[in-house]
Amino acid sequence: MFAYDLRLALDSMKRHPGLSALMVLAIALGIAVCTVTFTIYHAMATNPIPDKSSQLYAVTLDTWSAERPYDDDKPDLPPQLLTYRDATYLYGAKAAPRSVVMYKSGALLLPERNGVKPFNAQLRVTSHEFFPMFDVPFQYGQGWDAAADAGPQPVVVLNHETNAKVFGGENSVGRTLKLGKIEYRVVGVLQPWAPSPKFFDLNNGSFEDPEDAYIPYGWGKALEMPVYGNTNCWKPESGDTYQDFLNSECIWLQFWAELPTIADRDRYQAFIDNYARSQKAAGRMPRKLNNVLYDVGQWLDRNDVVQKDNRVLIGIALLFLGVCLVNVVGLLLAKFLNAAPLTGLRRALGASRRDIIRQHMTEVLLIGLTGGVLGILLAVGGLAGIRAIYGSDFTRGSYERLTEIDPVVVLVTLALSLLAGAIAGLYPSWRIGRTAPAVYLKTQ
Amino acid sequence: MDIKPILSSLRRSPTGAILVALQIALALAIVVNSLFIIVQRMEQISRDPGIDVANTFFVGFQASSERFQGEVTMREDLQILRSLPGVQAATVVNAVPLSGGGSATSVYTEQNEKGRRGDMNYFQVDEQGLETFGAKLVEGRNFDATIVTMPPKNSSTSPSGILITRDVARDLFPDGSALGKTVYTGTNQPVTILGIIDHMHGSWPGWDKVGNVALFPVITDETYARYMVRARPGQRDAMMKLAEEALGKVDNGRVILRVRSLEYVAASTYAKDRAMALYLTVVVALLLGISALGIFGLAAFNVSTRTKQIGTRRAVGARRTDILQYFLAENWLITTVGVVLGCVLALVLGYWLSTAFELPRLKLYYLVFGVVGLWLVSLAAAFRPARRASMVSPAIATRTV
Repeated sequence: MFAYDLRLALDSMKRHPGLSALMVLAIALGIAVCTVTFTIYHAMATNPIPDKSSQLYAVTLDTWSAERPYDDDKPDLPPQLLTYRDATYLYGAKAAPRSVVMYKSGALLLPERNGVKPFNAQLRVTSHEFFPMFDVPFQYGQGWDAAADAGPQPVVVLNHETNAKVFGGENSVGRTLKLGKIEYRVVGVLQPWAPSPKFFDLNNGSFEDPEDAYIPYGWGKALEMPVYGNTNCWKPESGDTYQDFLNSECIWLQFWAELPTIADRDRYQAFIDNYARSQKAAGRMPRKLNNVLYDVGQWLDRNDVVQKDNRVLIGIALLFLGVCLVNVVGLLLAKFLNAAPLTGLRRALGASRRDIIRQHMTEVLLIGLTGGVLGILLAVGGLAGIRAIYGSDFTRGSYERLTEIDPVVVLVTLALSLLAGAIAGLYPSWRIGRTAPAVYLKTQ
Repeated sequence: MDIKPILSSLRRSPTGAILVALQIALALAIVVNSLFIIVQRMEQISRDPGIDVANTFFVGFQASSERFQGEVTMREDLQILRSLPGVQAATVVNAVPLSGGGSATSVYTEQNEKGRRGDMNYFQVDEQGLETFGAKLVEGRNFDATIVTMPPKNSSTSPSGILITRDVARDLFPDGSALGKTVYTGTNQPVTILGIIDHMHGSWPGWDKVGNVALFPVITDETYARYMVRARPGQRDAMMKLAEEALGKVDNGRVILRVRSLEYVAASTYAKDRAMALYLTVVVALLLGISALGIFGLAAFNVSTRTKQIGTRRAVGARRTDILQYFLAENWLITTVGVVLGCVLALVLGYWLSTAFELPRLKLYYLVFGVVGLWLVSLAAAFRPARRASMVSPAIATRTV
């Protein structure tokens, strides 16, 4: 039976090859544009740490000026970064099961290997909880402990790529390398690890690769290491020393807390609010009490990680699909209604209404699937084109990941196309089925 | 031309016409809004940065040993760069214009943050900074080497005199010249305005005050320092190579990390806007193509199924032009309904984009482009089928089936 329907469908398509090709093309383009757009969107909007995204919280305090909000565009939100004194207090209080204080810096890395040029290594200056909190996978060795932060001890964790570059990918635990003026001992090497977006520090770009190496937090102060992220200040304060900078109202540190339960979160919220009240009493934090804990998803939203442009494109792609579907429905309808006399003849010869519907659906399915396959091919080509144009080193990261087509998007757009086709096929089936077969015989 | 037969025919089988009108309406809404976004992005990209982007490059370096002696070493390097044959000017800078990274501060016309405020994206440069950027001074004078200083690390001391762009000058002194005036930093240090720069873009092209720029006569701290070099016209690439070689020959305790053109920096900064414009252009082209094909396909199909009626009309006296007119008028009618509906949809979409994504509000004259464009596309798509209809022979009417 299916073979018969298929033959009828093929015959019908052959009778109007141009029209059939047009329908296939419309479905293909609709699917291709949606797939490309959603693939880009998903590459930017994926959850970087699905297992813990609702347990990790970015901690923010509104320490900004009474005169104006931190961000004029979002006047109700506190700044994303903390001052040194607040971060130091929160970290020292240990009110969360785990918390981490950190910032991005850098230093010249002088490899001991011949043939490797010195380069400016991007460093994360962080307290030791960074690795367990963010589920950072180690290939060799491990992180460090609180004593190493406090010392600070000259220990370093290398990421996979740096270890490959500097030590040829061997187990380098126990070896040393020079970063800036200090000789560090390697205690750990990471597996390849690049959460995307780089949620724990969005200052230098949401899709930046993680740092080349990690050193204990204490080195930041000991070596007065530069801040590679943002430093923002509002209060006119004169100062000539690094200690003045640390005491200032300038914000530059990232602070995260791991709070496994809602109760933990509420308790922590109360704790930071109390702290802020005590600071207000001491004459600091002139704005109204506004301290927000963001889980990972909220944090990405708050920082507009998925750019507005990409959301606009999603809307436009869906409308484009709409145009394609309306197009296909119009053509299918015209075609089926035009074939009504022929279909009526089939009815007169004994085909049931279900047979007619099945015949129409077979044709819709044939056109839809051909369009779907062509659409996927076009999408693959389109994504390859986008990678070729924008995958160069200056947009490092964000476009390189555009290799995987999201099957859900393909299936949903294909299903929509088939559904639209089905509506276009059902209406004539219903109309023809309602008419007495004799009418069609007469017009012949 | 009587429009009645067209209307009655449309009333009898309205589905196809409604679908075509709907398709045109959706297409118009997308085309108009996409066009608007494309034009905006292109305008953004093609703004004049006021800098000699084509001939300028920067050299990133970092201290690697005790032999590096801050200002002394940096001046040595500058000497090397300036002595290259194709180099016009060179300076030390704290940040690269158009790169997305930089520093900003505010000054006030009165002490204690009172009076008018001027926000400025500042660049710490030496006496050749102005010429290196290729920025034009319209009032006052450039600072000379004697006032260029290197404050100690972490110092919050401000320079005594600075250059500002006209944009900053307008914020500070809207009613008169800013030249020679004294303004105050947040910590009440007086600063004299030595000169006014015509126009120059700073570090953040997305900032609405991208033209608020100041040049400070300061040798920046080595942590953030890099050399900015302006080559003579056409010699940039040669000078980039030569600069790396010449600096590489001297071992004064620093390593050269990268040499990169400002053109590259600008291109990477604008890459996202360019991508958006390109993507939307492709979408608009595909959309117009698929709409035209759809209209063409449906019209051709309708003509082919109505061959017999057309023949009958011809047989009872209709001229070829009547048939042509009939089909074109039908198409025009459907298109016009679609276009009117499309204008409403375009405004709704434009409103949504401007409120949900803080994009600028759609300018109404873009609707005119869209309407005229879709009318023409639709007419062109329907023309061939209509002509084919007019070619139908009256003899067809006499044939059965």
